[in-house]
Amino acid sequence: MYPPKLQQIVDLFEALPDLEKRETLITYADQAKSQGPREGETFDLEDVRKDEECTDTVGVFLKVNPDRTTHYRVTLGPQVQTLTKAMTSILCKGLEGRTIEEVLEVPADFVPKIVGADLVRQRSQTVYYILTRMKSAATVWRNRDRAAALE
Amino acid sequence: MSSYAHPEALVSTEWLAEHLNEPNTRIVESNEDVLLYSTGHIPGAVHIDWRSDLQDQTVRDYISPEGFAELCAKNGIDKDTTVIFYGDKSNWWATYALWAFRLFGHENVKILDGGRDKWVAENRETTREIPSFPPTAYPVPPKRRDDEIRAFYEDALAQSQARKPLIDVRSPGEFIGEVTHMPEYPQEGVLRGGHVPGAKSVPWKRAANTDGTFKSADELRDIYEGEAGLKPGEDVVAYCRIGERSSHTWFVLTYLLGYEKVRNYDGSWTEWGNRVRSPIEKGA
Repeated sequence: MYPPKLQQIVDLFEALPDLEKRETLITYADQAKSQGPREGETFDLEDVRKDEECTDTVGVFLKVNPDRTTHYRVTLGPQVQTLTKAMTSILCKGLEGRTIEEVLEVPADFVPKIVGADLVRQRSQTVYYILTRMKSAATVWRNRDRAAALE
Repeated sequence: MSSYAHPEALVSTEWLAEHLNEPNTRIVESNEDVLLYSTGHIPGAVHIDWRSDLQDQTVRDYISPEGFAELCAKNGIDKDTTVIFYGDKSNWWATYALWAFRLFGHENVKILDGGRDKWVAENRETTREIPSFPPTAYPVPPKRRDDEIRAFYEDALAQSQARKPLIDVRSPGEFIGEVTHMPEYPQEGVLRGGHVPGAKSVPWKRAANTDGTFKSADELRDIYEGEAGLKPGEDVVAYCRIGERSSHTWFVLTYLLGYEKVRNYDGSWTEWGNRVRSPIEKGA
């Protein structure tokens, strides 16, 4: 089982024929620009970097509420692939309001269910990258939180 | 200043913008980004995908002559149609598609100099409208020209053992064996790093300007002949990782410098680096 909003997106994609699946992915990719931080927003963790194995800079911004629910924002460099852009929008929407622990437990096997097996292939593997970065930010926040609790 | 051996093999963005509806011409976009065409493309351009359209879906090989004829027919390409290829990544996959078309003997092929990035950077028109063309009766090619412009493992091994020219177009780190993935990409399943014994390192990128256009003929001669020591008329094999970056170099050597015997080893490092008992050199 995935977080409810992510599950809804997975269900939507699984019901779509291939052509509509692609069109819906493009729609999500178009929305990627609006997933970045908005004026006035503050975050508990900001992780902006260009990895050696990714085509462009990706910034992950994480806000954690007192009840440990999360709010993610993500910025993408222009060279990031369209599928990765789409996955950014899907994950920002699908994981909105989930706790740190729930984010860390999300399995990556939803990706081919959304994208379709034909598109998860050589040279499109960065489709998994955004989830990895979001989990990485969640892990850093959790470790800091645990360290603070020991002080 | 010398000129390209086949300047007719390139068209500029300016020229293409003024000739979008040229008769008997088809514009083809081929990208690494599998959805990029759908986000907007040059008006009238059709999409040919390196994986689903040009490659066999079960064997690691290209489509059959029958499959190629079918692909051309459905895209409104006839035997004498001029096909202008362009795409992302400085035309890696455009030159790969062009090379594949040449495998089947399609003669009239060109590359949009600078590719998709230059077209977009110049704010030229794009559309999401998918064009439709009347199907043609493209004749089934009598054979695939594997023996002319394609090298297999045994060919690359023979080239290495005879110390004939082998050009490794990957990044310097991949050539030396420091890394087993190319910069900005995840690992793609290679067990060992290094290069084919005797190969010379000439990264594909050296042939391209920052805007994705090809360097001048003089600059290319300095790189491939002055530095790498190639000589016109030599039998050259180029390789990379899966054959797309080496298609870029194959195009440069064949069409821009006029070499007549250049083969692309499309098995490249994902075959050589994994194959049992294949010899490997490390270091510069």
